[in-house]
Amino acid sequence: MYRKQVRRRRAVLTLLIIGSFLLLTITYGQSSGGLQQGISTVFSPLETVADRALKPARDLVGWFDKTFDAQGENSRLKSELAEAREQSVAGQEALQENRQLRKLVELDRGPALAASVYKPVTGRVIARSPTVWQSTVTIDLGTSDGVRVDDPVISGDGLAGRVASAGGGSSQVTLISDHASAVSAKVVPGGVQGVTRPDVGNPGELILDFIDSTKDIHRGQTVVTAGWRAEGLASLFPPGLPIGEVIRASIVEQEASQQVRLRPYADLANLDLVQVLTGSSRR
Amino acid sequence: MIVTPKIFARLAAIVILGVLLQLTFFSRVEVFHTSPDVLPALVVSLGLLGGSMAGAVSGFSIGLLVDCLLVAPLGGSSLVLLGVGYLAGLFRERFEIHSSLVPPLLCMGLTLVAELGFALVQVMIGVDAPVSGLIVRDMVLKSVYAFFLGWPIYLALRRLLRPALVEEPRVTRRRQPTVLGA
Repeated sequence: MYRKQVRRRRAVLTLLIIGSFLLLTITYGQSSGGLQQGISTVFSPLETVADRALKPARDLVGWFDKTFDAQGENSRLKSELAEAREQSVAGQEALQENRQLRKLVELDRGPALAASVYKPVTGRVIARSPTVWQSTVTIDLGTSDGVRVDDPVISGDGLAGRVASAGGGSSQVTLISDHASAVSAKVVPGGVQGVTRPDVGNPGELILDFIDSTKDIHRGQTVVTAGWRAEGLASLFPPGLPIGEVIRASIVEQEASQQVRLRPYADLANLDLVQVLTGSSRR
Repeated sequence: MIVTPKIFARLAAIVILGVLLQLTFFSRVEVFHTSPDVLPALVVSLGLLGGSMAGAVSGFSIGLLVDCLLVAPLGGSSLVLLGVGYLAGLFRERFEIHSSLVPPLLCMGLTLVAELGFALVQVMIGVDAPVSGLIVRDMVLKSVYAFFLGWPIYLALRRLLRPALVEEPRVTRRRQPTVLGA
């Protein structure tokens, strides 16, 4: 009797392991399975209710965590404020000059040119992946709101990610800190181009790769999306979306490139409200 | 564990509630820059209460539901969590749980195993980006959180599943006899 039980137990375990491997093999590399999307759609109202109900509790935990962080952040912010004041003065001058130049060349749309073809739709993050390996969030916007796969997603501070799969009332967003993410970007001012990639396990930093080591890049410079377009192909992201701020640049030994580390503007760990830029001209 | 339709419904509710709580609450709060992961602790507790089969099946189901809701490649989380559930159940079948510290310690240890498992699965299917050393800190902190969260989870599940548990002594309060005139 006992032996029979042990045999049955082993058989079920083997079946589950084989099942897991089979599922992994079949579904890996597919952007979205119909069954998964269906289950996700069924659960999305529950997730929305749970998200709203648990918001006060999340805020409470967040308040405790932020209180611990606030002390260290205070001194950093003070030095940043001094820097920002200097930059603000320089920025005001640049803005004035920019207005005059625009009038001269009749360029009345400027960096907002690309953004204007998009229709931003605002949504809320309702769920998040539990592991740092997959940086994905679920939002309460879906195809019924005009959301399509690969639409860019931004927060109030900067680029957050892109839509990986879209269902009727919810969508999954792959954040720029996900290991599968790569965004063509450029450093401003200067226009040096590279590709931002995540540093898996460290969502507070991104890596700007493939940067020519002869180019001078320094702390505090802004990195924005490059938004290239060539021979019928186009970047998923419009140009000029802020990604992050350079915090460190180091030349890789024996290589002609330098690795630049950025701090993303978007608070990727605490995303709440996001905007999906729908209606891209790519389609 | 004796699984009647009523107990099965309770188990299904526990799985759904656990996954929803993880995705909408625990994954979205950070303590020292790390979000707690209660799913391995939930699977360990189910394994400790129900044995290796219950642990493996619940781990597989929880992993499958998580992957479905996140539209991630199916099977990765299931594989890791079924292993964790099976190990917890095996512990219950081989050893006596003498101390109240055993469930939280097992939750802590097996959460670390689960996090290593998730990392292994990711390496297996290919990671296209550099991996930070901070991931080790994340794994260790998740295990520490599992120690503190594991105990209430274990107690709550034991209470919910008490009618189905084998050899689970029912705690009853006996009133001391009063001696009249004393």
